[in-house]
Amino acid sequence: MSTRQKARLVDISKCMGCRGCQVACKQWNELQAEKTKFFAAKGGYQNPAALSTDTWILVKFYEKQTEDGLTWRFRAHTCMHCTEAACIEICPTEPKAMSRDQTTGFVYVNEERCIGCGVCAEACPFGVPHVDANRGVSTKCSGCMARIENGMIPACAQACPGEAITFGDLSALLAKANERISYLKTKGYTPHLYGESESGGLRTLFIMPEGLLFYGLPAKPKSKVDTSLFRHRLKDLGKKGIPINAKMVREVLARDGIKKDTASELA
Amino acid sequence: MKISRKDFLKISGSFTLGMMLLGIPDLKFAEEILEAKKDFKLKYAKETTTICPYCSVGCGILVATKEGKVINTEGDPDHPINEGALCSKGSALYQVAVNERRLDKILYRAKGSDTWEEKDWDWAISEIAKRAKASRDSSFISNYEDGTKVNRTEGIACLGGASLNNEECYLLSKMMRSMGITYLEHQARLCHSSSVASLAASFGRGAMTNHYIDVVNADVIMIMGSNVSENHPITTKWINRAKDRGAVVISVDPRYSRSSSIADIYAPFRSGTDIAFVNGMILYALQNNFVNKDYVLTHTNASFIIKESYDFKDGLFSGFDPINKKYDSAKWGYELDEAGIPKKDETLQNPRCVYQLMKKHYSRYDSKKVCAITGTPEDVYLKICEVFTSTSAPDKVATWLYAMGSTQHSYGTQNIRTYGILQLLMGNIGMAGGGINALRGISNVQGSTDYALLFHLLPGYLRIPDAKEHPTLKAYLEKTTPTNNDPKSANWWGNTPKYVVSQLKAWWGEEAQKENDFCYDYLPKNEGDRSFIKVFHAMYEGKIKGLFLFGQNPVVGGPNTTKTLAALEKLDWMVSVDLWQTETSTFWKRPGVNPSQIKTEVFVLPAVSSVEKEGSITNSGRWAQWRYKATEPVGKSKSDLWIMDRVFKKIRDLYKNGGGAFPDPILTLNWNYGEKEPDVHKVAKEVNGYFVADADLKERGKFQQGQQVPSFAFLLDDGSTACGNWLYSGSYTDQGNMMARRNDEDAPNKIGLYPNWAWCWPVNRRIIYNRASCDVNGNPYDPQRWVVKWIAEEKKWIGDVPDGAWANIEKYAFIMRPEGVGCLFATGLADGPFTEHYEPLESPVNNIMSSQQVNPIAKVTQDEFIDKLGSPGKFPIVATTFRVSEHWQAGAMTRNLPWLVELMPDMFVEISEELAKEKGVANGDRVIVNSARGSIEGYAVVTKRFKPLLITGKLVHQLGLPWHYGYEGLATGDIGNTLTPNVGDANTHIPEYKTFLCDLKKA
Repeated sequence: MSTRQKARLVDISKCMGCRGCQVACKQWNELQAEKTKFFAAKGGYQNPAALSTDTWILVKFYEKQTEDGLTWRFRAHTCMHCTEAACIEICPTEPKAMSRDQTTGFVYVNEERCIGCGVCAEACPFGVPHVDANRGVSTKCSGCMARIENGMIPACAQACPGEAITFGDLSALLAKANERISYLKTKGYTPHLYGESESGGLRTLFIMPEGLLFYGLPAKPKSKVDTSLFRHRLKDLGKKGIPINAKMVREVLARDGIKKDTASELA
Repeated sequence: MKISRKDFLKISGSFTLGMMLLGIPDLKFAEEILEAKKDFKLKYAKETTTICPYCSVGCGILVATKEGKVINTEGDPDHPINEGALCSKGSALYQVAVNERRLDKILYRAKGSDTWEEKDWDWAISEIAKRAKASRDSSFISNYEDGTKVNRTEGIACLGGASLNNEECYLLSKMMRSMGITYLEHQARLCHSSSVASLAASFGRGAMTNHYIDVVNADVIMIMGSNVSENHPITTKWINRAKDRGAVVISVDPRYSRSSSIADIYAPFRSGTDIAFVNGMILYALQNNFVNKDYVLTHTNASFIIKESYDFKDGLFSGFDPINKKYDSAKWGYELDEAGIPKKDETLQNPRCVYQLMKKHYSRYDSKKVCAITGTPEDVYLKICEVFTSTSAPDKVATWLYAMGSTQHSYGTQNIRTYGILQLLMGNIGMAGGGINALRGISNVQGSTDYALLFHLLPGYLRIPDAKEHPTLKAYLEKTTPTNNDPKSANWWGNTPKYVVSQLKAWWGEEAQKENDFCYDYLPKNEGDRSFIKVFHAMYEGKIKGLFLFGQNPVVGGPNTTKTLAALEKLDWMVSVDLWQTETSTFWKRPGVNPSQIKTEVFVLPAVSSVEKEGSITNSGRWAQWRYKATEPVGKSKSDLWIMDRVFKKIRDLYKNGGGAFPDPILTLNWNYGEKEPDVHKVAKEVNGYFVADADLKERGKFQQGQQVPSFAFLLDDGSTACGNWLYSGSYTDQGNMMARRNDEDAPNKIGLYPNWAWCWPVNRRIIYNRASCDVNGNPYDPQRWVVKWIAEEKKWIGDVPDGAWANIEKYAFIMRPEGVGCLFATGLADGPFTEHYEPLESPVNNIMSSQQVNPIAKVTQDEFIDKLGSPGKFPIVATTFRVSEHWQAGAMTRNLPWLVELMPDMFVEISEELAKEKGVANGDRVIVNSARGSIEGYAVVTKRFKPLLITGKLVHQLGLPWHYGYEGLATGDIGNTLTPNVGDANTHIPEYKTFLCDLKKA
């Protein structure tokens, strides 16, 4: 069965930054509000500062002056559900806690298997997973798989007033996105479709009207952990007969050379 | 995207909500039990439909409950307006229902006390009734010295109602008027009162002409005076779909907003210069002949000849009385022929015809002058003129989306008049995708306006009797019923006596008889301006002793907070019915005061939320939609309907037993809605109207006593019908509750009318003035997006419910105007028939258009102590207030919700990078903003979205701040309205919140 069946398309040219998605996600997933002060970043009203155990989708604000005038854009940042998912690749449990749903292709945390080691959070090029220290599990957007299974669409996509976030079959969304890209070109934009090929293809696609640079996402997203080195080191430990636990993983992660400097990969 | 969740979530059961719903195919049941795969969250949950309690878009929400507890709230995918979508506020509805900060008990604060005491309902209702009676008795005026009966209570005010259900608004009006209360006001005064006056003067009705979905039909979407994406976010769905069709979106705003971000063209302008901006657009249209000539001749008063006594010189219209600051508007009337019909010149050449007078009046507003006043770059301005006036083509259409940016000025009514004039010239009124769309801010503020929680009105836009002008019913009906001799004018308001008498019958039932003028004497007779600003002025002067608040928080929402607070301290008692503690109900313990010095007794009554009661609310597009009870009330909280019922009955008991001032209107009021929870259906049926006696209406049928009237066309002025609000007649007929309909099929013309979804006033007409979308023969100007069309063979209209059943050849299309046509020249306003630019009361520059610096008849409350005005020397910066998507109005409904507080935790002030540099302020610094009224502090948002403007050669800075914050709730901050003045619009006294002067410094 194909694992690239479902996706979300985030058409930034249609987003007006109301953050209905952000609250709808918290509502459906029963996530707590975070304590915030003023605004977390310049250029708008972003809050909180980053994705977290309680924030699985976060609207970022981009205020830029160009020759053509002022541009104020909003981008809902959330799990990309990558085809070549660094989080799945690195997940050290057997079988893997970080899993791919075979129906939708979305990446989710199997909480029964998860040991809360946090290596997925370290590896993710998009800063998506976060470990809930109280429950000892990794958390992130699951693409609302349970809703999809029951004939509903993800909470963020359902809430979105401007139809900036839509949900559907990946192939159909790609076709729709490319059509939109062509349309935006006729309107004088320099649009970029993000996610068609990045990390083997993402299941959260972005139409970026001003191109990739404007939004600062990595042009070639890569794991931020040296996966083979990590596995190798972990294997060494495993040979000693010690079952893998969170503490052990963190010790391995703390060693030199495991974490990669990915700054240079940011576009 | 429409999804069919019913395929998956199989409906396994349903509950009826009263047998009256049966038998109407369009009434789907409001509750469903869901089945689902696996241990899905919603498995076996009960889902109940409701309508969002925040803004006026009227989005459908599904409330899922298990064992009586709310477990999920999300957009209703079947709802035609939102199709399942919700903004951040709507998405947070769960935290209104489940919130430990909700009021769950009755609180009382004694005179001088520093703490709340917990009380029970019986005690509170009883004590409130005693105080209301005492204040009424001691302030009641029965007669004037000349014998005029006025029956008026001076000592009690009642505020609030825009978040109540229609049935509650109706009972509130009925109850308060029976007690003689004339200081009856609410949020609508502050948000759209100038819309009502302006739209009525232009077209006949004071409401949004089209509806939210209809925005999709527009070719040009003009967002000026509103920040639609932030304050009515779901509209963006329809704007985006219009854009996909090729529509051009224009955003004109002093500050680049989230709405500007989706616009194709953005133009900055100086706050308060809307009239200059649009007057220039009118000139552009006239000069270039971008005018829909057929429309203008057929549907406007362009050809009408104006009396010689009309004149305009140096900013003043003729008839100005400088001593009383009033115009004699009789000077601006139509020239009549021998038959009393306005004279016309269909060639439009007569120099005294409206069209020629317009050309003269607007010739002064060339783009150079306009841009000198507004600060808008001229090239952008001309581009907007060009794009907008392209809709003068008969099959092109523009919509105008506006809100408080237009209304809240000392010339707010005239701001909206400019849109009316321009849209009539374009031929865009009555068209699909056209109109002037007053975006209202509160879920039921349209309903609360229709139900007239306003000092000057009775339900259905009937005027409150005036003590001097209307001493008798005869005088009232003679003076308030317009007449017109033109046989082509339907003059629908000619039916006023039927509506008035039917309302009196609904209120005083058997007691109301022809012999006693249907109890007309029981209505309080008003005198003078008793609007919001005056309520607080009278309170400040110690004239008002008691205050009822139904969900209004004037400490945050009213202008000049310092004065509001000082006024509240003069009260003997206050009753706040609310879901939360508000800045108003806790004013006695606000930061910096000593409670022992404040004598006001305060009763806080916990009200239920929108998902804990049943009833209807009316969105901005005039759709009355029914909401159901999804869950039980929190703690001891009760519905407003219950609270009003109990308080009224207790007051009635006191008058039964203890005499007092003129008890008759209270004792005989037709008030019988049940013993426990009042029956909301009974109220809704009374609003619709019923036959009091058998009636033979000949070819229209025979009706029996007790039958519901089918519509207001069946109301009579002889006392044989009763009707609480004629405008809602047809909403709850013998066929059932039409407001509860949920048929999501569109009408055959496929323009998004959804005629069998809910019910819309008037008579389920979705686009008002729709006959103006056709030429004189009834052929649509736009054959693609037609609203109605005349089928000559059958002599009838098809499509939307026509605005009057007559053929266009027979009667004019604007049936609520006495002259029958749209008014380019408006004879009925206080401050002029054409629109003229004046500066705001506080302005950094001189008016370059005339020697009249400000609107000569603006209502200014000014003194040297508390109502001060500032000068540009001391306060050089133009300030404006705004709202954000994540908070709502005075804040109690959002600043208590953790998810929304997370998004917008603190008060802030938006300033340009240039001003920040000048003041040495960096993003995130604390800053102090001062005006002549006071000073506040907040975080600085330094942004490129504000830019200084060049105004008549002078560099002017602007800043903006939200007014949502206060000292209660989870998100607190200084109250923005501390800075705003008590300056009112000439026609409706809406405060000039949107433009004032200030200064800023680093804290």
